[in-house]
Amino acid sequence: MKTGKHILRDYASKPEFSSLLILLVMFVLTAVLQKNFFEIKSIMRNINAFAPLILVTMGQAVVIISGGIDLSSGTALSLLTCVLTSIMKKNDPITGLYAIIITFLIALLIGFMNGFGIGYLRIPPVISTFATSFIWLGIALFLRPTPGGESVPWFGVFYNFDTLKDTSAFFSLLSGFLPPALLLVVIGCILWYVISKTRTGRYIYAVGGNSESAYESGINTARTQIVAFMINSIFIFLAALFFVGQTGSGDARMGDPLTLKSIAAAVVGGIALSGGRGNVYFALVGALILSLVNKIIFFANIPYAYQTLVGGAIVIVAIAGSQAYISYSTKIKEIKIG
Amino acid sequence: MNAPARVLTALNTSFFSKYKKLIIAALLIIFLFILGETVVSDFLSVQQILLTIKLSSFIALFGLCQMIVIAAGGSGLDLSVGYTATITAVLTAKLMDGRNDNIWIAILAALALGLIIGVLNGFFISYIKLPPLVVTLAMSQMVQGAINVYTAGKNITGKPSPILQIIAAKTTGFIPNILFLLILLTIIVMLILQKTRIGVLLFGAGANPTAAHLSGVDVKRVRFFSYVVSGILASLIGLLLLGNMGIAFKDMGSNYVMPSIAAAVVGGVSLTGGDGNYLGVVLGAIFLQTLTNLLVALGWGDAGKWTGFGIVLFLLLIVYVSNPRKR
Repeated sequence: MKTGKHILRDYASKPEFSSLLILLVMFVLTAVLQKNFFEIKSIMRNINAFAPLILVTMGQAVVIISGGIDLSSGTALSLLTCVLTSIMKKNDPITGLYAIIITFLIALLIGFMNGFGIGYLRIPPVISTFATSFIWLGIALFLRPTPGGESVPWFGVFYNFDTLKDTSAFFSLLSGFLPPALLLVVIGCILWYVISKTRTGRYIYAVGGNSESAYESGINTARTQIVAFMINSIFIFLAALFFVGQTGSGDARMGDPLTLKSIAAAVVGGIALSGGRGNVYFALVGALILSLVNKIIFFANIPYAYQTLVGGAIVIVAIAGSQAYISYSTKIKEIKIG
Repeated sequence: MNAPARVLTALNTSFFSKYKKLIIAALLIIFLFILGETVVSDFLSVQQILLTIKLSSFIALFGLCQMIVIAAGGSGLDLSVGYTATITAVLTAKLMDGRNDNIWIAILAALALGLIIGVLNGFFISYIKLPPLVVTLAMSQMVQGAINVYTAGKNITGKPSPILQIIAAKTTGFIPNILFLLILLTIIVMLILQKTRIGVLLFGAGANPTAAHLSGVDVKRVRFFSYVVSGILASLIGLLLLGNMGIAFKDMGSNYVMPSIAAAVVGGVSLTGGDGNYLGVVLGAIFLQTLTNLLVALGWGDAGKWTGFGIVLFLLLIVYVSNPRKR
């Protein structure tokens, strides 16, 4: 029988444990530095600020676990915001629904194309998604040469329930404490929970861990990688809903910085770039860590010029720390066994 | 081994197969120029060709850094090269200040900067075993941060030495001087990698690290030094970039990073490591630049340019990097 002590020790030897520790330290630091950290308003603001990176990182994590990497997620996000705002007509509320359905299908198509190049054609993911990122960027610029576009008024519901305040007291109450961004992240988590319980979920790990032996055990590796990219696209789609809800406009360039950030966040969350290992929920932890780094730098009154420098240093330290922790804990295990 | 397999092996070692990717890249460049001439007038002229080569020279130079770290294996990549070049340019512009007196100090500074960045990259990647993509990404961010700190609240002053400007920006007759440098560099790199032990070590460590290790090669050290060399080269390229632009600015090098990787891949460098021919990388860079020029000349604007670039690159990858599943 496992005692509490054993369970704790088992858990502490997992690679994700170190990122949880880092997150804890970050939380404490932020709470100390930011005076109103625990106020409901500030929590809501933080969730809104962190949600896009969290969503994109979770999608990125699925792809990385399947043995790929997505350098096009930022431009794909931009493209989806441009598509949304091109279909919607400000005075016609029903166009919002059309826009959501069509954009969702386009998101799946984007995922399919990325997955096809990597799964069936076996082009190395780094260069394949680099190439497709230009296609998404080009189409986005075609739709929206300059930031803009229109959206239906009710689309704001993806950013704040305030939009529906007049329709019922219920939404008015909700808008006080529940940011829709949190719901989007929860939807993402539920989606992954369901998928991870299916055969496809296990296949994603198997293909990322060892594509050859997965293939030889009868798994359709190409299809699995395509599915992984399509799941990634759904996460990007959720982030696009949030952005358009927030700004009401599309921008062909707004997603660019998120691509590399999401990869760094996934790695900080303990997801191995070699594939097959890691926990998608800890992508959320990684994204939180990176987001809190920026907050800490801001509230610690570090001069603006130093922010990028310190941010980069913290990423290296976080990754090196978790790597050192993993090799340390596996060494202890080996000694115990041997 | 049955007969067809033997024929395949023989073909694989033949001249055509060895230089297949080089020949394809060269044919593609010629095709693009002819296509450009038929669609847009004045595309195929000596001047246009020389201009294209001059514009592609920096992608080709950064491509050398990429080829070295990619060839050493371990899914190597160096995203920090553009930022290394930028910080060198920004810091040495003031040192040189438009005169030739301090160029040696500038070169020493460049070597030192490249060495520091390269050693850090190599240490984290090779000895701490962190993924190259993330390490060089974080390094880029740190270097960019250092540039931000240095330039905070003031203008970047200074000019490159006239010598650098002559090498990087001026022409002899109608031939850009940087073209001579590129040819010289290509010959030197090819000689080093084909004829010396360095090439054997580099490609051995990339192609089969286990075998290399068993035959006494210190694979970790080879990979470590590949990043050191990449950092130093990138830093020296920064001097040339400064000479070419005439002034230093904050993001002068960052736009070359991803194109340099693409050039390496188009030029036949396998991303899994273990091979690479620098002539191919140069051809890859010229191809990408010709493609960009053609798309700009067509006048479809940014949207058309990027869509076209993406689609052509993707199709090209399908043609000769892809390895469709048929097991």
